[in-house]
Amino acid sequence: MSNNNYFSGIFFGVKSLLTGLGVTMKEFFTRKITEQYPENRKELKMFDRFRGRLVMPHNDKNEHKCIGCGLCQMACPNGSIKVTTESVELPDGKKKRQLVKYEYDLGCCMFCELCITACPQGAIEFCTDFENAVFDRTKLVQQLNLPGSHVAEKPVAPKPAAPAAEKPATEKPAAPAAEAPANTNPEKPAAV
Amino acid sequence: MTLDNIKTLEPAQLRQEMEGLKAKGFDFLSNLIGMDWGKEGGLGVVYCVENTNTHEQQWLKTATADREQPVLPTVSDLWDIANIYEREAYDFYGIIFAGHPDMRRIFLREDWVGYPMRKDDKPEENNPLRMDNEPLADDTTEYSVAADGTVTTKKNTIFGPDDYVVNIGPQHPSTHGVLHFRVALEGEIIRKIDPVLGYIHRGVEKLNESYTYPQTLALTDRLDYLAAMQSRHALCMCIEKAMGIEVSERVQVVRTILDELQRIDSHILFFSCLCQDMGATTAFLYGFRDREKILDIFEETCGGRLIINYNTIGGLMADIHPNFQKRVKEFIPYMRKNIKEYHAIFTGNVIFQNRSKGIGPLTKEQAISFGCTGGTGRATGWANDVRKNHPYAAYDKVDFNQVLRENGDSFDRYMIRLDEILESLNIIEQLIDNIPEGNYKEKTKPIIKVPEGTYYQAVESSRGEFGVFLESKGDKSPYRLHYRSTGLPLVAAMDTACRGFKIADFVTIGGTMDYIVPDIDR
Amino acid sequence: MFDFTKVTNWIDALLLSFLPGWAATLVECVLVALVIITLYAVFAIILIYMERKICAFFQCRLGPNRVGKWGSIQVLADVLKMLTKEIIDMKNVDRLLHKMAPFLVIVASMLTFACLPWNKGAGVIDFNIGIFFFLAAGSIGVVGILLAGWSSNNKYALIGAMRSGAQIISYEVSIGLVMLTMIVLTGTMSFSEICQQQADLGWNIFRGHIPAALAFIVYLIAGNAECNRGPFDMPEAESELTAGYHVEYSGMHFGFYYLAEYLNLFICAGIASTIFLGGWAPLHIWGLDGFNHVMDYIPGAVWMVGKTFFVVFLLMWIRWTFPRLRIDQLLALEWKYLMPLSLVLLVVMALCVSLGLTF
Repeated sequence: MSNNNYFSGIFFGVKSLLTGLGVTMKEFFTRKITEQYPENRKELKMFDRFRGRLVMPHNDKNEHKCIGCGLCQMACPNGSIKVTTESVELPDGKKKRQLVKYEYDLGCCMFCELCITACPQGAIEFCTDFENAVFDRTKLVQQLNLPGSHVAEKPVAPKPAAPAAEKPATEKPAAPAAEAPANTNPEKPAAV
Repeated sequence: MTLDNIKTLEPAQLRQEMEGLKAKGFDFLSNLIGMDWGKEGGLGVVYCVENTNTHEQQWLKTATADREQPVLPTVSDLWDIANIYEREAYDFYGIIFAGHPDMRRIFLREDWVGYPMRKDDKPEENNPLRMDNEPLADDTTEYSVAADGTVTTKKNTIFGPDDYVVNIGPQHPSTHGVLHFRVALEGEIIRKIDPVLGYIHRGVEKLNESYTYPQTLALTDRLDYLAAMQSRHALCMCIEKAMGIEVSERVQVVRTILDELQRIDSHILFFSCLCQDMGATTAFLYGFRDREKILDIFEETCGGRLIINYNTIGGLMADIHPNFQKRVKEFIPYMRKNIKEYHAIFTGNVIFQNRSKGIGPLTKEQAISFGCTGGTGRATGWANDVRKNHPYAAYDKVDFNQVLRENGDSFDRYMIRLDEILESLNIIEQLIDNIPEGNYKEKTKPIIKVPEGTYYQAVESSRGEFGVFLESKGDKSPYRLHYRSTGLPLVAAMDTACRGFKIADFVTIGGTMDYIVPDIDR
Repeated sequence: MFDFTKVTNWIDALLLSFLPGWAATLVECVLVALVIITLYAVFAIILIYMERKICAFFQCRLGPNRVGKWGSIQVLADVLKMLTKEIIDMKNVDRLLHKMAPFLVIVASMLTFACLPWNKGAGVIDFNIGIFFFLAAGSIGVVGILLAGWSSNNKYALIGAMRSGAQIISYEVSIGLVMLTMIVLTGTMSFSEICQQQADLGWNIFRGHIPAALAFIVYLIAGNAECNRGPFDMPEAESELTAGYHVEYSGMHFGFYYLAEYLNLFICAGIASTIFLGGWAPLHIWGLDGFNHVMDYIPGAVWMVGKTFFVVFLLMWIRWTFPRLRIDQLLALEWKYLMPLSLVLLVVMALCVSLGLTF
């Protein structure tokens, strides 16, 4: 190394170091970017396409749209959805499949949206709720259909003979499931 | 593209053919894929070699019917990267490569029983959860075949009793994940590196064989999580081309923009992590501050930040968000301004310059032989950009430069990436105001079945050529779906790049190679 | 300027009034030790809080802000956590050395801490070869670090300790030479006299002008390296050696290293302010008598601590801006740049003093 290089090296080095120091000093006085969570809970709005967790929307009459076809269960790569249905006999003698329990394991879900794409009824969707932490893993398994809820009938269909569900049916939610032997969807999940 | 011209070779012809191809300028082995074609087809390998001047690809395959002791000749002396690819094929299919100097398992434990990717293997039965420590042998086996067909073995030493071996990883801050390097040191100087992979191996390729096509998409985001958009793009494109689906111009352009945003995202994270590795923690957070803007764009349009989940077979999950263009246009000048800050605080810094210039150089020949695509290869002067060589999506409609440098050292690898951020911003700027109208998704059948055949699609992911190799038997699941990992060649080249440098340089070299562990292990 | 000896003399007289001479000395020793240890802990807490806040501000963050107002008792909580943590007994370590090493480090750090002159008449260890004692006591720390690395029976720790040994011993050359430069200027090695002189004649950095200013910079660099702080934190280099020499320590044993690191930073800054920036001497500007008079009202201890924290801030600014050096570059910096420079400075200072070119 020639002497010239030695001294120009020092000069270049010191200059570059001072540039760096200048940058950090400037940032020292700029506005900070820290998000003050949870203080900002009110303003903190997730984007509407954000996939927080799967929900089954119910209308004000406690009705959902799920017909229990099990397509979502088949579409799920992780087997995080379990649809339990039963067969009920309608007053006109026809048999009809009805949703008993829609279990969703948030702990297994990888938010791929395949269930939502598969659903022919638009019965499930992702909500933007992101505070999903729980203390116990079993709490991650959620039942998405509300107790006592039933599938929304098409307006043209005759009035169903289910007066009990109209009332505050929350008192005995498990009753129908206990009476009829729960008929798990016979179709296997596509892959586990 | 459909691979209808795969050349089938007998194992005995393979060496001669390969040597001929190598001599003809096919110096880049882009794929070496283990295959199980069942009882009739036997166990075999699919090779893809590429001529780096003409970008002509040649696909070959070979197979042996022997399932007890399948032996094929090695090509690891022709292409350096074949060493690690052949170990992968050995690990998953039990194919022994005669003449390979280091026939060890690479992803699975050394005491694993069976070869899990074989169609008749039952990995769960043979491998209960083992509670003992994983054995790591210090020596390895080389197989060779005598003229009469008998297979003989020979012991080769990896680390001798005199080597001072330090484990860097699997829990180590500089490996960016669960990657394990066994490093033989002499004082501070690195003598040899032996990568031990597979700590985050999830068997993605095996899983794919039981998934339906839409389900396979869910895993691509989880390979190279900083190239989620591009990996998924590659898989979607591969399936679309196989099924003959034409996606609209709109989809092409949106995919291109998002791919480039993803590339910027990845390169910012590269910068941040390199700074962090080299002790400049402040610059690390500047990078994260800016990356947040891209993640917000992703989240608004795609609903995810890291696991983006946006491309789908036939188009996109949803149309772009109304705010998308506005946000991207705000981001472009913001990022251009902040790149200057990166250069001021880190690039120009004399400490960084001294620690990166001339450190861990790869020559162009080495980069090609190791198949180090992406920024690492371009830093050596190898023009390997898939976007230029085999254009896809809307890349043939935009004007951009392929950033190339000459020295192939850590500094060049670093500069390539920062320059590519600017180049990506250029691409986005050209497209963002010209998104054509059209469907965001083509109609597909509810059950997707890919017609029988073999297909391959490569894209330029954030850190190199990401390839999807799909072999279909016409079912609703792929028969074999292989991903060309972008990181595996980089890890393979670490030994060559690091020898003779110091432990501190190992961190710099590893950082500038820019590998992502889930993508290596798959 | 308030003379702290009045207070110490009064306590001495009080104790002597009802105790025999030896007992009074003993009680005084205990009192002084208590004061020093308390100050040590308090400054450690302040420094850790300061570092976390300052580093956060450089990084566009807010830093700790959850425990207490502005996170003010965050560090106290951390100290409590550290105190309650288990000290894990390792199987294959050299027991005695492994347990002794953190104490050596903390003892060295406390001894040097006691050298700082806090106010006029308030220096704990103050005698005619004060600087010499400071250098000697400070060197004990490296023994602790080497022992920690060796006894841990861990390759990372050993490499870290070896790096640390090479680094600290090299940089002590520069520190010694720079101190020598300033001794040439002051003509004394006693900290109290150096301060007194600066109170009378002006701060050394102004008296010694160019060579002193350069010596100040050399001292800051070498001092930073002595403290094993970034960009010279090679021995720990978390991205290479995970934590270097203290990788096998847990609980309060680790806490000792942590404390010592911060206090060494403070001591380094304190010595810098004593030798270059006047210690407890207030800022005086020639000709501005009114201003000087006002400055005199600020107690010496405030000056001392204020200057020290200013230097600490400078060091933190450096630490949070630069990437880490590599070990060979670190040694090259010392042997090729700093040591020749400090030798030249020594000669220049000697010439300046002998030719009367100082103020």
